[in-house]
Amino acid sequence: MSERKNPATGHDTGHVWDDNLRELTNQPPRWWMICLYLSALFLVVYFILYPTFPLISGSSKGVLGWTQMKRLNESVADIQAVRAPFENRLVGMSAEAILANPELANYAVRSAKVVFGDRCAPCHGTGGAGNPGYPVLADDDWLYGGSVASIEQSIADGRAGMMPAFAAMLNEQQLDALSQYTLALSKGEGRADGQALFASQGCGGCHGADGKGMPMLGAANLTDAVWRFAPGTVESIKYTISNGVNAPGHEGTRSATMPDFKNQLSATEIKKLAVYVHKLGGGQ
Amino acid sequence: MTASQVEQKYNFDIVRWFTVVSVIYLVVGTLVGVYIAAELAWPVFNLDTPYLTFGRLRPLHTNAVIFAFGGCILMATGFYSVQRTCGVRLWSDKLAWFTFWGWNLIIVLAVITLPLGFTQGKEYAELEWPIDILIAVVWLSFAANFIVTIARRQSSHIYVSNWFFLGMIVMITYLHVVNSLAIPVTLFKSYSIFASVQDAMIQWWWGHNAVGFYLTAGFLGIMYYFVPKQANRPIFSYRLSVLHFWSLMFGYVWLGSHHLQYTALPDWAGSLGAAISLAMIIPSWGGAVNGMMTLSGAWDKLRTDYVLRFLIMSLAFYAMSTFEGPVMSLKVVNALSHYTDWTIGHVHSGALGWVGMVGAGAIYHLLTRLWSTEIYSVKLVNTHFWLATIGIAIYVVAMWISGLMQGLMWRDYDEFGTLSYTFAESVAAMHPYYVLRTVGGLLYTLGGVLMLYNVIMTIRQASAAPRLSAAPAHA
Repeated sequence: MSERKNPATGHDTGHVWDDNLRELTNQPPRWWMICLYLSALFLVVYFILYPTFPLISGSSKGVLGWTQMKRLNESVADIQAVRAPFENRLVGMSAEAILANPELANYAVRSAKVVFGDRCAPCHGTGGAGNPGYPVLADDDWLYGGSVASIEQSIADGRAGMMPAFAAMLNEQQLDALSQYTLALSKGEGRADGQALFASQGCGGCHGADGKGMPMLGAANLTDAVWRFAPGTVESIKYTISNGVNAPGHEGTRSATMPDFKNQLSATEIKKLAVYVHKLGGGQ
Repeated sequence: MTASQVEQKYNFDIVRWFTVVSVIYLVVGTLVGVYIAAELAWPVFNLDTPYLTFGRLRPLHTNAVIFAFGGCILMATGFYSVQRTCGVRLWSDKLAWFTFWGWNLIIVLAVITLPLGFTQGKEYAELEWPIDILIAVVWLSFAANFIVTIARRQSSHIYVSNWFFLGMIVMITYLHVVNSLAIPVTLFKSYSIFASVQDAMIQWWWGHNAVGFYLTAGFLGIMYYFVPKQANRPIFSYRLSVLHFWSLMFGYVWLGSHHLQYTALPDWAGSLGAAISLAMIIPSWGGAVNGMMTLSGAWDKLRTDYVLRFLIMSLAFYAMSTFEGPVMSLKVVNALSHYTDWTIGHVHSGALGWVGMVGAGAIYHLLTRLWSTEIYSVKLVNTHFWLATIGIAIYVVAMWISGLMQGLMWRDYDEFGTLSYTFAESVAAMHPYYVLRTVGGLLYTLGGVLMLYNVIMTIRQASAAPRLSAAPAHA
């Protein structure tokens, strides 16, 4: 070890601990002392410029008049200035009118993309691809209608499916026949025993005599291969018929509820979302 | 003094026990960390059971590394250095054993209650009120033993490492008690006596000072004993020690509010925290400078001295983290960095780099002296050093990139003034960095496993050899 290179060979304080622990009387490095004074100076300047200490009522304001609310409002204003040329034109327009205007429809789609990703995709999947128990939005099968106005209403007011539970009204044999018939309907086939039950139990009252569904009621089209409650097997169909959908007081009933967003999103945001969903692929 | 005289004079058994359990807790704590890092990269590791979810294991990880590893190494080194620098035995052996078993009981209780979901919901203060009371009692037993031992010292002056330990003891008592004030409802549920933003402010006053006084002041106490001792050099500057000690003590308590920028916290409190944070860079560097200058002229020792290598690397990480933190506390930077992985990276450069490395250096130093033997394998120590260093580098760089990407993706707008990315897209973009983080953490943990093996083998080798002092009961 070279003592010559060592700046730490000066005097020590005269104290020794634990045989060999000593402290030298060196001054702190000059740059460190200068920076320590500069730190103190920085504090003084900062305290003058910004709100930094409490007073009896309120706090010091700082000569710059900086507040975080001001800062927030400024950055919101920056964004609103970019959006304004489009947003101003959207005011008072219906979703249909926005859809009909290619420029505004493009803006709506771009603008709604992240809202959809954050609010809708958690259930309906990225790009509306659907999830188990949650409808696909990118096809042309619509429970409540595929017009942009219907979609807007679904988003604003939410939707709740309803179907009575038939467990107490049908015996096992009837349940089985009706389920087999429903499965056959989806393949474009027919079964006599089931068809009679379908009529006598009043299924057609909601699903239509031909089983093609009624968007007014949110009653599913039973003649296609799209299943609201997958998978499309006899067991699954039997479960739905037995337990119904949102059947009041019936334990184990199917749940099909979409929340309303009118209190979370602005009317314009909902219109833009409706246009976005309409354009996902299956709007009617 | 001969080795046997030293052994007779001081209570080293308590130090041995704290040292060995601290190594075990380091391995367990970092292993849990690796597991939850893997959960973030591959959620399948949640195994569909609530007991293993990130939300419950994360506090277990932080409690294990901070209070189990950190607490035990602080108490091991504190009890060791206070005896040696005061030239007297610990005031009370019985109280020291009470501290040991009490602290370990707290750790066992944490391991049971946290996965079961009992929590106060306060970060780094999750444990419920009965355990909080136990922490206060056990901590005060450590404090009493430490303070009375200093009062009975044979040296005229109090050595600098003891100032830092004392600063930690006084401030952590105060911080823990105030932040844990709560109204119990049942044995395992309580509610903070503070409400809304006041509760958040008290929480981060505690949260940042757990870093400031426990993980910084306490570990600076370790640095001030073990660096000059290991290097066999005098401390570079007494005056520098005094200046940076008092500026740390008076400055750190003000920083907590920088965790709450752009929240309901009043403007003045946030900017006060940011201003003092930035002014703390130089006082913090005082410790790093004093440690490094103590080695000045003896840098060649780094080639041969494996313990010094850990200590110096820890000071480098300490200097880096104490620069990064104040920068992140500024509102303009915080607006980008807050809530992102950058914060996680910053914490780990301090925790793995500073706390973990200085702790490992102290453990290796203690190992050969407490068991009066040579280290079992220097090669394994070097492998530990490189695994840890590379592990930290991978971890921190991954979190820097990931954090900056998150911050930038969250604020990015397109030409229509619309956010460019959904939150889910930013999560998906993090995946490769979460994988890298797991790898970095795994390397660091492997280093810890090597240290545990080396500790066990060194102790076995010492127990097998004829010894001057009583063989430790535990090996």
